[in-house]
Amino acid sequence: MKERLIASTGGKGGTGKSTFAVLLALKLSNDGEKVVLCDCDVECPNDYLLLNEEIVDPEPIYRELPELDEAKCVKCGMCSRVCKENAIFWVEEKFPMLFLDLCSGCGACWITCPNDAIKPKEELAGEYFSNEVNSNLWLVTGRSKPGISETGPIVGEAKGRAMKLAGDIKADRLIVDTSPGTHCNVIQALLNCGKAYVVTEPTPLGAHDAGLILELIQKMQIPAEIVLNKSDIGDRKQIEKIAINFGVPITIEIPYSDELVRAYSHGKLEEMVDLI
Amino acid sequence: MKIVVASGKGGTGKSMLASSMTILFSKNSRVVACDCDVDAPNLGLWLGITEYDTKKRISTSEKAYINPKKCVECGECFDACRFGAVERDRGFKINPLLCEGCGVCQLVCPEEAIELKKVMNGEIRLNETKLGFPLVSGQLYPGETGSGKIVQELRRKAEEFDQDVMILDSAAGIGCPVIASVTGCDFALLVTEPTPSGFTDLGRILEIVNHFQIPFGIVLNKWDINPTMSKKIESWSGERLLGKIPYDRKVVDSIVNLKPVIYSDATATSEILKVFEKIKNLKP
Repeated sequence: MKERLIASTGGKGGTGKSTFAVLLALKLSNDGEKVVLCDCDVECPNDYLLLNEEIVDPEPIYRELPELDEAKCVKCGMCSRVCKENAIFWVEEKFPMLFLDLCSGCGACWITCPNDAIKPKEELAGEYFSNEVNSNLWLVTGRSKPGISETGPIVGEAKGRAMKLAGDIKADRLIVDTSPGTHCNVIQALLNCGKAYVVTEPTPLGAHDAGLILELIQKMQIPAEIVLNKSDIGDRKQIEKIAINFGVPITIEIPYSDELVRAYSHGKLEEMVDLI
Repeated sequence: MKIVVASGKGGTGKSMLASSMTILFSKNSRVVACDCDVDAPNLGLWLGITEYDTKKRISTSEKAYINPKKCVECGECFDACRFGAVERDRGFKINPLLCEGCGVCQLVCPEEAIELKKVMNGEIRLNETKLGFPLVSGQLYPGETGSGKIVQELRRKAEEFDQDVMILDSAAGIGCPVIASVTGCDFALLVTEPTPSGFTDLGRILEIVNHFQIPFGIVLNKWDINPTMSKKIESWSGERLLGKIPYDRKVVDSIVNLKPVIYSDATATSEILKVFEKIKNLKP
Protein backbone atom coordinates (compact mmCIF):
# COMPACT_ATOMS: atom_id res chain seq x y z
CA MET A 1 0.00 0.00 0.00
CA LYS A 2 2.86 2.33 0.88
CA GLU A 3 3.80 3.38 -2.67
CA ARG A 4 0.13 3.96 -3.39
CA LEU A 5 -0.25 6.31 -0.42
CA ILE A 6 0.52 9.90 -1.41
CA ALA A 7 0.34 13.06 0.69
CA SER A 8 -0.31 16.67 -0.22
CA THR A 9 1.16 18.93 2.45
CA GLY A 10 3.07 22.19 2.73
CA GLY A 11 3.58 23.66 6.20
CA LYS A 12 2.01 27.01 5.46
CA GLY A 13 -1.73 27.50 5.15
CA GLY A 14 -3.34 28.60 1.92
CA THR A 15 -0.56 27.49 -0.41
CA GLY A 16 -2.86 25.19 -2.37
CA LYS A 17 -2.58 21.83 -0.61
CA SER A 18 -6.27 21.03 -1.04
CA THR A 19 -6.40 22.42 -4.57
CA PHE A 20 -3.47 20.22 -5.56
CA ALA A 21 -4.83 17.13 -3.77
CA VAL A 22 -8.20 17.51 -5.50
CA LEU A 23 -6.62 18.18 -8.91
CA LEU A 24 -4.37 15.14 -8.53
CA ALA A 25 -7.26 12.94 -7.45
CA LEU A 26 -9.38 14.11 -10.40
CA LYS A 27 -6.54 13.68 -12.86
CA LEU A 28 -5.63 10.16 -11.76
CA SER A 29 -9.26 9.09 -11.68
CA ASN A 30 -9.83 10.59 -15.13
CA ASP A 31 -6.88 8.50 -16.31
CA GLY A 32 -8.73 5.40 -15.18
CA GLU A 33 -7.22 4.78 -11.75
CA LYS A 34 -9.41 4.05 -8.76
CA VAL A 35 -8.66 6.79 -6.25
CA VAL A 36 -9.59 7.49 -2.64
CA LEU A 37 -8.96 11.04 -1.48
CA CYS A 38 -8.85 11.47 2.29
CA ASP A 39 -9.22 14.97 3.71
CA CYS A 40 -7.06 14.81 6.83
CA ASP A 41 -7.36 18.53 7.61
CA VAL A 42 -9.99 17.59 10.16
CA GLU A 43 -10.03 21.01 11.83
CA CYS A 44 -11.01 22.72 8.58
CA PRO A 45 -11.80 20.13 5.91
CA ASN A 46 -12.52 21.75 2.56
CA ASP A 47 -12.00 19.12 -0.14
CA TYR A 48 -15.73 18.36 -0.23
CA LEU A 49 -16.40 22.02 -1.01
CA LEU A 50 -13.85 22.00 -3.82
CA LEU A 51 -15.55 18.93 -5.28
CA ASN A 52 -19.00 20.44 -4.82
CA GLU A 53 -20.04 17.56 -2.59
CA GLU A 54 -22.24 17.66 0.47
CA ILE A 55 -21.92 16.11 3.87
CA VAL A 56 -24.99 14.04 4.53
CA ASP A 57 -25.48 11.88 7.63
CA PRO A 58 -21.89 11.77 8.83
CA GLU A 59 -20.90 8.93 11.12
CA PRO A 60 -19.71 9.85 14.60
CA ILE A 61 -16.15 9.40 15.79
CA TYR A 62 -15.89 8.90 19.53
CA ARG A 63 -13.05 9.13 21.93
CA GLU A 64 -12.77 8.16 25.55
CA LEU A 65 -12.60 10.86 28.19
CA PRO A 66 -12.50 10.43 31.97
CA GLU A 67 -15.59 10.65 34.13
CA LEU A 68 -15.46 10.92 37.91
CA ASP A 69 -17.69 8.87 40.18
CA GLU A 70 -17.68 10.89 43.40
CA ALA A 71 -19.23 8.02 45.35
CA LYS A 72 -16.06 5.99 44.81
CA CYS A 73 -13.49 8.81 44.99
CA VAL A 74 -11.40 8.99 48.17
CA LYS A 75 -9.84 12.35 47.18
CA CYS A 76 -6.32 10.93 47.11
CA GLY A 77 -5.19 13.11 44.19
CA MET A 78 -3.31 10.35 42.35
CA CYS A 79 -5.16 11.18 39.12
CA SER A 80 -4.02 14.77 39.27
CA ARG A 81 -0.40 13.76 39.81
CA VAL A 82 -0.21 11.50 36.76
CA CYS A 83 -1.97 13.91 34.37
CA LYS A 84 0.67 15.50 32.13
CA GLU A 85 -1.84 17.82 30.48
CA ASN A 86 -2.71 19.57 33.76
CA ALA A 87 -6.30 18.69 33.04
CA ILE A 88 -7.05 17.54 36.60
CA PHE A 89 -6.99 20.06 39.41
CA TRP A 90 -6.94 18.74 42.95
CA VAL A 91 -6.49 20.17 46.44
CA GLU A 92 -6.30 18.20 49.68
CA GLU A 93 -9.65 16.88 50.92
CA LYS A 94 -11.52 17.95 47.80
CA PHE A 95 -12.78 16.03 44.81
CA PRO A 96 -10.54 16.45 41.77
CA MET A 97 -11.85 18.76 39.05
CA LEU A 98 -11.59 17.51 35.47
CA PHE A 99 -10.99 20.05 32.70
CA LEU A 100 -11.91 18.08 29.62
CA ASP A 101 -10.91 20.95 27.29
CA LEU A 102 -7.31 20.14 28.19
CA CYS A 103 -7.66 16.36 28.25
CA SER A 104 -5.93 14.30 25.56
CA GLY A 105 -7.80 11.15 26.57
CA CYS A 106 -4.57 9.28 27.30
CA GLY A 107 -6.11 7.26 30.11
CA ALA A 108 -3.42 7.84 32.73
CA CYS A 109 -6.00 8.90 35.34
CA TRP A 110 -8.31 5.91 35.02
CA ILE A 111 -5.40 3.49 34.85
CA THR A 112 -3.99 4.99 38.04
CA CYS A 113 -7.11 5.51 40.17
CA PRO A 114 -6.91 2.92 42.98
CA ASN A 115 -10.67 2.91 43.53
CA ASP A 116 -12.03 2.82 40.00
CA ALA A 117 -13.55 6.22 40.65
CA ILE A 118 -12.48 7.46 37.22
CA LYS A 119 -13.77 5.57 34.24
CA PRO A 120 -13.51 6.21 30.52
CA LYS A 121 -16.66 7.50 28.91
CA GLU A 122 -17.23 7.76 25.18
CA GLU A 123 -17.64 11.32 23.95
CA LEU A 124 -18.29 12.62 20.48
CA ALA A 125 -14.99 13.94 19.10
CA GLY A 126 -15.75 14.34 15.44
CA GLU A 127 -17.33 12.75 12.44
CA TYR A 128 -16.46 10.99 9.26
CA PHE A 129 -18.20 10.58 5.95
CA SER A 130 -17.52 9.39 2.45
CA ASN A 131 -18.77 10.53 -0.93
CA GLU A 132 -18.64 8.66 -4.20
CA VAL A 133 -17.61 11.55 -6.42
CA ASN A 134 -17.65 9.46 -9.58
CA SER A 135 -17.18 5.81 -10.46
CA ASN A 136 -13.40 6.12 -10.00
CA LEU A 137 -13.15 8.62 -7.15
CA TRP A 138 -14.18 8.45 -3.52
CA LEU A 139 -13.73 11.17 -0.95
CA VAL A 140 -13.37 10.41 2.77
CA THR A 141 -13.60 13.40 5.08
CA GLY A 142 -12.79 13.60 8.77
CA ARG A 143 -14.06 16.57 10.76
CA SER A 144 -13.31 17.38 14.39
CA LYS A 145 -15.92 18.70 16.75
CA PRO A 146 -15.09 22.37 17.46
CA GLY A 147 -13.54 22.67 20.91
CA ILE A 148 -11.65 19.37 20.61
CA SER A 149 -8.02 20.21 21.19
CA GLU A 150 -6.25 16.97 20.30
CA THR A 151 -7.16 16.33 16.67
CA GLY A 152 -4.42 13.83 15.74
CA PRO A 153 -6.52 10.79 16.74
CA ILE A 154 -9.39 12.00 14.54
CA VAL A 155 -6.96 12.19 11.61
CA GLY A 156 -5.87 8.64 12.43
CA GLU A 157 -9.48 7.50 12.52
CA ALA A 158 -10.43 9.13 9.20
CA LYS A 159 -7.31 7.81 7.52
CA GLY A 160 -7.99 4.33 8.88
CA ARG A 161 -11.48 4.40 7.33
CA ALA A 162 -10.06 5.66 4.04
CA MET A 163 -7.50 2.84 4.01
CA LYS A 164 -10.21 0.31 4.66
CA LEU A 165 -12.32 1.73 1.84
CA ALA A 166 -9.28 1.74 -0.45
CA GLY A 167 -8.75 -1.94 0.36
CA ASP A 168 -12.42 -2.81 -0.17
CA ILE A 169 -12.68 -1.20 -3.58
CA LYS A 170 -9.13 -2.21 -4.54
CA ALA A 171 -8.10 1.40 -5.08
CA ASP A 172 -4.92 2.16 -7.00
CA ARG A 173 -4.21 5.27 -4.91
CA LEU A 174 -4.98 6.84 -1.61
CA ILE A 175 -4.24 10.56 -1.53
CA VAL A 176 -4.16 12.26 1.87
CA ASP A 177 -4.59 16.02 2.15
CA THR A 178 -2.97 17.27 5.37
CA SER A 179 -3.65 20.32 7.49
CA PRO A 180 -1.14 23.19 7.61
CA GLY A 181 1.63 22.98 10.19
CA THR A 182 4.08 20.33 11.27
CA HIS A 183 2.65 18.80 14.45
CA CYS A 184 0.73 15.69 15.46
CA ASN A 185 -2.25 16.01 13.11
CA VAL A 186 0.10 16.40 10.13
CA ILE A 187 2.35 13.58 11.36
CA GLN A 188 -0.66 11.24 11.59
CA ALA A 189 -1.60 12.08 8.01
CA LEU A 190 1.95 11.62 6.68
CA LEU A 191 2.53 8.34 8.49
CA ASN A 192 3.33 5.46 6.09
CA CYS A 193 3.07 7.64 2.99
CA GLY A 194 5.24 6.56 0.08
CA LYS A 195 5.50 10.05 -1.32
CA ALA A 196 4.76 13.59 -0.20
CA TYR A 197 4.06 16.58 -2.40
CA VAL A 198 5.09 19.79 -0.65
CA VAL A 199 2.84 22.49 -2.06
CA THR A 200 4.33 25.94 -1.62
CA GLU A 201 4.41 29.42 -3.10
CA PRO A 202 7.34 31.59 -4.21
CA THR A 203 7.41 33.97 -1.22
CA PRO A 204 9.68 34.10 1.84
CA LEU A 205 6.69 32.67 3.78
CA GLY A 206 6.36 29.71 1.45
CA ALA A 207 10.11 29.07 1.55
CA HIS A 208 10.30 29.31 5.33
CA ASP A 209 7.42 26.92 5.94
CA ALA A 210 8.42 24.52 3.16
CA GLY A 211 11.76 24.20 4.95
CA LEU A 212 9.99 23.23 8.16
CA ILE A 213 7.74 20.61 6.60
CA LEU A 214 10.68 19.18 4.61
CA GLU A 215 12.56 18.80 7.88
CA LEU A 216 9.68 16.71 9.21
CA ILE A 217 9.35 14.73 5.99
CA GLN A 218 13.06 13.98 6.04
CA LYS A 219 12.77 12.74 9.64
CA MET A 220 9.95 10.48 8.53
CA GLN A 221 12.05 9.28 5.57
CA ILE A 222 9.38 10.00 2.99
CA PRO A 223 10.47 10.83 -0.57
CA ALA A 224 9.26 14.33 -1.44
CA GLU A 225 8.63 16.57 -4.43
CA ILE A 226 7.87 20.27 -4.48
CA VAL A 227 4.77 21.67 -6.17
CA LEU A 228 5.27 25.36 -6.81
CA ASN A 229 1.90 27.06 -6.83
CA LYS A 230 1.41 30.60 -8.19
CA SER A 231 4.80 29.90 -9.74
CA ASP A 232 4.90 33.08 -11.80
CA ILE A 233 4.43 35.61 -9.01
CA GLY A 234 6.81 36.54 -6.22
CA ASP A 235 10.37 35.28 -6.14
CA ARG A 236 11.16 31.63 -6.78
CA LYS A 237 14.87 31.76 -5.96
CA GLN A 238 14.31 30.95 -2.30
CA ILE A 239 12.25 27.89 -3.15
CA GLU A 240 14.95 26.73 -5.56
CA LYS A 241 17.46 27.11 -2.75
CA ILE A 242 15.32 25.05 -0.36
CA ALA A 243 14.90 22.42 -3.07
CA ILE A 244 18.68 22.13 -3.44
CA ASN A 245 19.29 22.14 0.32
CA PHE A 246 16.92 19.27 0.87
CA GLY A 247 17.72 17.49 -2.39
CA VAL A 248 14.08 17.59 -3.42
CA PRO A 249 13.03 18.38 -7.00
CA ILE A 250 10.42 20.94 -8.06
CA THR A 251 8.32 18.71 -10.30
CA ILE A 252 5.09 20.60 -10.81
CA GLU A 253 4.50 24.30 -11.37
CA ILE A 254 1.08 25.89 -11.35
CA PRO A 255 1.03 29.51 -12.57
CA TYR A 256 -1.34 31.99 -10.98
CA SER A 257 -4.56 32.21 -12.93
CA ASP A 258 -7.82 33.98 -12.35
CA GLU A 259 -9.59 30.94 -13.83
CA LEU A 260 -8.16 28.69 -11.12
CA VAL A 261 -9.16 31.13 -8.39
CA ARG A 262 -12.65 31.26 -9.87
CA ALA A 263 -12.87 27.47 -10.22
CA TYR A 264 -11.72 27.12 -6.60
CA SER A 265 -14.25 29.55 -5.26
CA HIS A 266 -17.09 27.96 -7.24
CA GLY A 267 -16.26 24.31 -6.54
CA LYS A 268 -15.43 23.60 -10.19
CA LEU A 269 -11.87 22.34 -10.04
CA GLU A 270 -12.57 19.49 -12.48
CA GLU A 271 -12.32 22.07 -15.28
CA MET A 272 -8.71 22.79 -14.29
CA VAL A 273 -7.25 19.27 -14.23
CA ASP A 274 -4.90 20.02 -17.12
CA LEU A 275 -2.95 22.39 -14.90
CA ILE A 276 -0.98 19.53 -13.37
CA MET B 1 -5.98 44.68 25.62
CA LYS B 2 -5.35 41.38 23.86
CA ILE B 3 -6.41 41.05 20.24
CA VAL B 4 -6.11 37.65 18.58
CA VAL B 5 -6.13 37.29 14.80
CA ALA B 6 -7.56 33.95 13.64
CA SER B 7 -9.30 32.42 10.64
CA GLY B 8 -9.64 28.65 10.65
CA LYS B 9 -8.51 28.38 7.05
CA GLY B 10 -4.85 29.02 6.31
CA GLY B 11 -3.56 31.66 3.94
CA THR B 12 -6.44 34.09 4.37
CA GLY B 13 -4.20 36.93 5.54
CA LYS B 14 -3.88 36.59 9.32
CA SER B 15 -0.18 37.48 9.60
CA MET B 16 -0.49 40.27 7.05
CA LEU B 17 -3.29 41.84 9.09
CA ALA B 18 -1.68 41.14 12.48
CA SER B 19 1.58 42.77 11.38
CA SER B 20 -0.29 45.81 10.07
CA MET B 21 -2.35 46.19 13.26
CA THR B 22 0.77 45.91 15.41
CA ILE B 23 2.54 48.68 13.50
CA LEU B 24 -0.52 50.92 13.55
CA PHE B 25 -1.15 50.43 17.28
CA SER B 26 2.53 51.06 18.04
CA LYS B 27 2.25 54.69 16.94
CA ASN B 28 0.26 55.63 20.05
CA SER B 29 0.49 52.68 22.43
CA ARG B 30 2.92 50.22 23.90
CA VAL B 31 2.48 47.08 21.81
CA VAL B 32 3.77 43.52 21.94
CA ALA B 33 3.55 41.36 18.84
CA CYS B 34 3.04 37.70 19.65
CA ASP B 35 3.36 35.07 16.92
CA CYS B 36 1.31 32.14 18.19
CA ASP B 37 1.70 30.05 15.03
CA VAL B 38 4.50 27.92 16.44
CA ASP B 39 4.26 25.40 13.58
CA ALA B 40 4.87 27.94 10.84
CA PRO B 41 5.77 31.28 12.41
CA ASN B 42 5.56 34.00 9.76
CA LEU B 43 4.67 37.19 11.63
CA GLY B 44 8.35 38.17 11.78
CA LEU B 45 8.66 38.00 8.00
CA TRP B 46 5.68 40.31 7.59
CA LEU B 47 7.49 42.75 9.90
CA GLY B 48 10.67 42.41 7.85
CA ILE B 49 12.47 40.29 10.45
CA THR B 50 14.55 37.30 9.48
CA GLU B 51 16.95 37.13 12.45
CA TYR B 52 16.09 37.01 16.13
CA ASP B 53 17.96 38.75 18.97
CA THR B 54 17.60 35.81 21.30
CA LYS B 55 16.45 32.23 21.04
CA LYS B 56 15.89 30.08 24.06
CA ARG B 57 15.40 26.34 23.71
CA ILE B 58 12.65 25.05 25.96
CA SER B 59 11.11 21.77 26.96
CA THR B 60 7.36 21.41 27.30
CA SER B 61 7.12 17.72 26.55
CA GLU B 62 8.52 14.35 27.44
CA LYS B 63 8.95 11.15 25.48
CA ALA B 64 8.97 7.57 26.63
CA TYR B 65 11.93 5.22 26.21
CA ILE B 66 11.80 1.47 26.65
CA ASN B 67 14.89 -0.08 28.19
CA PRO B 68 15.32 -3.28 26.16
CA LYS B 69 17.30 -4.89 28.98
CA LYS B 70 14.38 -4.64 31.37
CA CYS B 71 11.55 -5.19 28.85
CA VAL B 72 9.96 -8.65 29.05
CA GLU B 73 7.84 -8.01 25.94
CA CYS B 74 4.53 -8.45 27.72
CA GLY B 75 2.81 -5.93 25.44
CA GLU B 76 1.00 -4.03 28.21
CA CYS B 77 2.33 -0.70 26.92
CA PHE B 78 1.34 -1.58 23.37
CA ASP B 79 -2.25 -2.19 24.45
CA ALA B 80 -2.48 0.88 26.68
CA CYS B 81 -1.07 3.56 24.36
CA ARG B 82 -3.86 5.61 22.82
CA PHE B 83 -1.62 7.26 20.27
CA GLY B 84 -0.26 4.18 18.51
CA ALA B 85 3.24 5.18 19.59
CA VAL B 86 4.35 1.74 20.79
CA GLU B 87 5.58 -0.30 17.87
CA ARG B 88 6.05 -4.04 17.84
CA ASP B 89 9.02 -4.94 15.71
CA ARG B 90 11.37 -7.53 17.19
CA GLY B 91 10.56 -6.33 20.68
CA PHE B 92 8.79 -3.12 21.57
CA LYS B 93 9.87 0.37 20.64
CA ILE B 94 8.47 3.86 21.05
CA ASN B 95 7.98 5.89 17.87
CA PRO B 96 9.02 9.35 19.10
CA LEU B 97 7.01 11.02 16.33
CA LEU B 98 3.80 9.63 17.78
CA CYS B 99 4.63 9.68 21.50
CA GLU B 100 2.66 12.35 23.36
CA GLY B 101 4.61 11.86 26.58
CA CYS B 102 1.48 11.04 28.54
CA GLY B 103 3.27 8.38 30.56
CA VAL B 104 0.57 5.72 30.32
CA CYS B 105 3.09 3.13 29.12
CA GLN B 106 5.24 3.81 32.14
CA LEU B 107 2.22 3.44 34.43
CA VAL B 108 1.23 0.04 33.05
CA CYS B 109 4.73 -1.45 32.67
CA PRO B 110 5.14 -4.17 35.32
CA GLU B 111 8.94 -4.19 34.97
CA GLU B 112 9.71 -0.48 35.31
CA ALA B 113 11.34 -0.72 31.91
CA ILE B 114 9.97 2.59 30.65
CA GLU B 115 11.40 5.97 31.42
CA LEU B 116 10.12 9.42 30.45
CA LYS B 117 12.75 11.86 29.31
CA LYS B 118 12.34 15.58 28.79
CA VAL B 119 12.84 16.71 25.21
CA MET B 120 13.78 20.15 23.99
CA ASN B 121 10.78 20.44 21.70
CA GLY B 122 10.90 24.07 20.74
CA GLU B 123 12.21 27.54 21.29
CA ILE B 124 11.05 30.99 22.29
CA ARG B 125 12.42 33.84 20.20
CA LEU B 126 12.63 37.51 21.02
CA ASN B 127 13.25 40.50 18.86
CA GLU B 128 13.33 44.17 19.82
CA THR B 129 12.21 45.27 16.38
CA LYS B 130 13.42 48.43 14.68
CA LEU B 131 9.75 49.33 14.50
CA GLY B 132 9.79 50.13 18.21
CA PHE B 133 8.01 47.16 19.78
CA PRO B 134 9.03 43.66 20.77
CA LEU B 135 8.14 40.54 18.83
CA VAL B 136 7.80 37.33 20.78
CA SER B 137 7.55 34.19 18.73
CA GLY B 138 8.07 30.50 19.13
CA GLN B 139 8.91 27.45 17.13
CA LEU B 140 7.79 23.93 17.80
CA TYR B 141 10.51 21.83 16.23
CA PRO B 142 9.10 19.83 13.31
CA GLY B 143 7.95 16.42 14.50
CA GLU B 144 7.70 17.38 18.16
CA THR B 145 4.54 17.48 20.25
CA GLY B 146 3.18 20.16 22.55
CA SER B 147 2.31 23.12 20.32
CA GLY B 148 -0.30 24.41 22.78
CA LYS B 149 2.21 24.45 25.61
CA ILE B 150 4.74 26.37 23.51
CA VAL B 151 2.02 28.93 22.83
CA GLN B 152 1.37 29.20 26.58
CA GLU B 153 5.10 29.71 27.22
CA LEU B 154 5.50 32.43 24.64
CA ARG B 155 2.39 34.21 25.88
CA ARG B 156 3.89 34.17 29.37
CA LYS B 157 7.06 35.71 27.92
CA ALA B 158 5.06 38.37 26.08
CA GLU B 159 3.29 39.32 29.33
CA GLU B 160 6.64 40.40 30.79
CA PHE B 161 6.69 43.53 28.63
CA ASP B 162 4.96 46.73 29.73
CA GLN B 163 2.13 47.04 27.30
CA ASP B 164 -1.23 48.50 26.39
CA VAL B 165 -1.96 46.16 23.50
CA MET B 166 -0.89 42.64 22.62
CA ILE B 167 -1.56 41.35 19.11
CA LEU B 168 -1.63 37.56 18.90
CA ASP B 169 -1.31 35.95 15.48
CA SER B 170 -2.82 32.48 15.70
CA ALA B 171 -2.17 29.36 13.65
CA ALA B 172 -4.61 28.02 11.07
CA GLY B 173 -7.13 25.44 12.22
CA ILE B 174 -9.24 25.23 15.35
CA GLY B 175 -7.25 22.74 17.44
CA CYS B 176 -4.77 22.77 20.28
CA PRO B 177 -2.47 25.73 19.38
CA VAL B 178 -5.41 27.86 18.24
CA ILE B 179 -7.36 27.24 21.43
CA ALA B 180 -4.23 28.17 23.41
CA SER B 181 -3.99 31.43 21.42
CA VAL B 182 -7.64 32.46 21.61
CA THR B 183 -8.23 31.78 25.30
CA GLY B 184 -8.02 34.85 27.53
CA CYS B 185 -8.15 37.38 24.68
CA ASP B 186 -10.40 40.46 24.72
CA PHE B 187 -11.17 40.63 21.04
CA ALA B 188 -10.86 38.40 17.99
CA LEU B 189 -10.16 39.67 14.50
CA LEU B 190 -11.41 36.93 12.19
CA VAL B 191 -10.01 37.02 8.67
CA THR B 192 -11.85 35.31 5.86
CA GLU B 193 -11.91 35.19 2.08
CA PRO B 194 -14.86 34.85 -0.30
CA THR B 195 -14.56 31.14 -1.05
CA PRO B 196 -16.71 28.28 0.23
CA SER B 197 -13.69 27.14 2.28
CA GLY B 198 -13.03 30.56 3.78
CA PHE B 199 -16.67 31.04 4.76
CA THR B 200 -17.14 27.52 6.15
CA ASP B 201 -13.96 27.76 8.21
CA LEU B 202 -15.01 31.18 9.53
CA GLY B 203 -18.02 29.38 10.98
CA ARG B 204 -15.73 26.82 12.61
CA ILE B 205 -13.34 29.32 14.23
CA LEU B 206 -16.38 31.26 15.39
CA GLU B 207 -17.49 28.24 17.43
CA ILE B 208 -14.20 28.47 19.34
CA VAL B 209 -14.44 32.26 19.77
CA ASN B 210 -18.03 31.97 20.98
CA HIS B 211 -17.08 29.15 23.33
CA PHE B 212 -14.74 31.58 25.09
CA GLN B 213 -17.33 34.39 24.74
CA ILE B 214 -14.89 36.73 23.05
CA PRO B 215 -16.24 39.74 21.12
CA PHE B 216 -15.17 39.62 17.49
CA GLY B 217 -15.05 41.44 14.19
CA ILE B 218 -14.68 40.11 10.66
CA VAL B 219 -12.29 41.22 7.95
CA LEU B 220 -13.02 40.06 4.41
CA ASN B 221 -9.75 39.73 2.53
CA LYS B 222 -9.36 39.46 -1.28
CA TRP B 223 -13.07 40.32 -1.49
CA ASP B 224 -12.96 41.00 -5.24
CA ILE B 225 -11.94 37.45 -6.24
CA ASN B 226 -15.60 36.48 -5.83
CA PRO B 227 -17.93 39.48 -5.39
CA THR B 228 -21.07 37.30 -5.24
CA MET B 229 -19.71 35.25 -2.37
CA SER B 230 -18.45 38.46 -0.74
CA LYS B 231 -21.97 39.90 -0.72
CA LYS B 232 -23.17 36.77 1.05
CA ILE B 233 -20.45 37.03 3.71
CA GLU B 234 -21.07 40.76 4.09
CA SER B 235 -24.76 40.39 4.76
CA TRP B 236 -24.08 37.43 7.07
CA SER B 237 -21.55 39.51 9.02
CA GLY B 238 -23.67 42.65 9.29
CA GLU B 239 -22.17 45.10 11.76
CA ARG B 240 -19.40 42.69 12.61
CA LEU B 241 -17.75 43.40 9.28
CA LEU B 242 -14.79 45.69 9.94
CA GLY B 243 -13.42 45.95 6.43
CA LYS B 244 -13.07 44.59 2.92
CA ILE B 245 -9.55 44.30 1.55
CA PRO B 246 -9.14 43.87 -2.22
CA TYR B 247 -6.81 41.30 -3.77
CA ASP B 248 -3.65 43.16 -4.60
CA ARG B 249 -0.46 41.77 -6.07
CA LYS B 250 1.45 44.56 -4.33
CA VAL B 251 0.83 42.67 -1.11
CA VAL B 252 2.82 39.81 -2.62
CA ASP B 253 5.54 42.28 -3.66
CA SER B 254 5.66 43.56 -0.09
CA ILE B 255 6.31 40.17 1.40
CA VAL B 256 8.85 39.29 -1.29
CA ASN B 257 10.74 42.46 -0.37
CA LEU B 258 10.14 41.89 3.37
CA LYS B 259 8.56 45.31 3.62
CA PRO B 260 5.45 45.69 5.82
CA VAL B 261 2.33 46.11 3.68
CA ILE B 262 1.30 49.17 5.61
CA TYR B 263 4.31 51.07 4.22
CA SER B 264 3.53 50.17 0.63
CA ASP B 265 1.26 51.94 -1.83
CA ALA B 266 -0.94 48.86 -2.16
CA THR B 267 -4.64 49.61 -2.54
CA ALA B 268 -5.12 47.13 0.30
CA THR B 269 -3.39 49.59 2.65
CA SER B 270 -6.21 52.12 2.85
CA GLU B 271 -8.70 49.37 3.75
CA ILE B 272 -6.36 48.05 6.44
CA LEU B 273 -6.25 51.57 7.90
CA LYS B 274 -10.04 51.61 8.03
CA VAL B 275 -10.05 48.36 10.00
CA PHE B 276 -7.59 49.88 12.45
CA GLU B 277 -9.76 52.98 12.90
CA LYS B 278 -12.62 50.73 13.94
CA ILE B 279 -10.71 48.77 16.55
CA LYS B 280 -8.24 51.33 17.88
CA ASN B 281 -10.49 52.48 20.70
CA LEU B 282 -11.52 49.02 21.89
CA LYS B 283 -11.36 48.54 25.62
CA PRO B 284 -11.08 45.19 27.34
